[in-house]
Amino acid sequence: MKAQYVTNRARTFAVTGIAAAALIGLGGCASTPPPSEQMAVAEASVQRATTTSTSENAGVELQVATAKLASARQALISKDYDRARQLAEQADVDAQFAELRAQSARSRKAAQESQDAARALREEISRKSAAPIK
Amino acid sequence: MKYRALYSVTLLALVSACSSVPDRNTALESARSQFNIARNDAQVTSQAPDELKRAGEALRVADQARGNGESTANIDHLAYLTSQRVMIAQETAASRASQAVTASAAAERDRLRLDARTSEVNAAQRQLAVSEQNNAQKTADLAAAEASAARSQARVERGDQRVNDLEAQLRELNAVKTERGMVVTLGDVLFDTGKAELLPDGGKNIAKLAEFFRRYPDRTATVDGYTDSVGNANANFTLSERRANAVMSALINQGVAANRLTMRGHGAEMPTADNATPAGRQMNRRVEVVFANSGM
Repeated sequence: MKAQYVTNRARTFAVTGIAAAALIGLGGCASTPPPSEQMAVAEASVQRATTTSTSENAGVELQVATAKLASARQALISKDYDRARQLAEQADVDAQFAELRAQSARSRKAAQESQDAARALREEISRKSAAPIK
Repeated sequence: MKYRALYSVTLLALVSACSSVPDRNTALESARSQFNIARNDAQVTSQAPDELKRAGEALRVADQARGNGESTANIDHLAYLTSQRVMIAQETAASRASQAVTASAAAERDRLRLDARTSEVNAAQRQLAVSEQNNAQKTADLAAAEASAARSQARVERGDQRVNDLEAQLRELNAVKTERGMVVTLGDVLFDTGKAELLPDGGKNIAKLAEFFRRYPDRTATVDGYTDSVGNANANFTLSERRANAVMSALINQGVAANRLTMRGHGAEMPTADNATPAGRQMNRRVEVVFANSGM
């Protein structure tokens, strides 16, 4: 819900930005509008990815995403909107990647444990059936 | 969508306004080869088709940007997004494949448990059947053993009865257990002095003895004659022999087979009492029927 709200608000900003950009753009090779939507999306993605599990299983990837988001904020303040948009877009995919990498590590671990458990059970059963049941 | 279209148009206008045309971009080619690897990976195409599609979309956007002659920085950026999208697709696929492994391992555990449970139940049922069979066998064995014990008991009782009978009969004849066997002594009251003919009173004892021989057909006996020490030894020996012979003849007359009897005269030998007194001498004048110890 919050993300939706953020997105709507971002859109409003975007429209404003586009209008402004269009005006400036007509004037020639000018700076891009503030990437409010991309910033909002990146904020949401990084926030979503910032969990203990992601820190443990994909710490470096998460740090990259967080650092890029910070840089994007900095660029936004500096009104370097092109840079801010790019950094925000990258922070978004970086955060998603970190999240998925952590998830896949967890899944791999769970699969391993599950297979180990199945093997242990198989062995236990074969031992049991080898010995007569008392 | 309307906004986005407007935005794109605006961007396009801006970009075309200030661009140069790079002919090749390393980052983009690298992203393309990454994408191609993923596209040819069966795990990715089957497990993360949507994510792969998004990566393809990102690549298309990057290619378009290059076609439009956008800045290297922007193409690098779009190539980076493509690379990340490819890796997202790969991680998603790996994660889902692992989840499938987990699910199938769990299913296998369930199946193993069920199989084990089933075979345990089967084994228990087999064991129960065997136990029941064993119980039936044991019950039968027990019944047989009890019957056998009962028969043995009956045999023992019959045997006891038989022994009792034997002992009772011999007791009636005042039989005495000695080293030589059971000895039944027929006193001199059976005979007149100096005679070897049985008196009628002796007949009762002879009849009892004969009955005993009939009841126990495997018994044999020795008939021994004795006298007191009065008189000539030879005469005494002869007399003792004649008296023993008289008893044996009486038994044979009563139906005892001759081959079951042997006879000996002993004269005054082996006195059982003192020959110095009349009472002692009377006890020494006797005939003994000796049943050998066999199985008595």
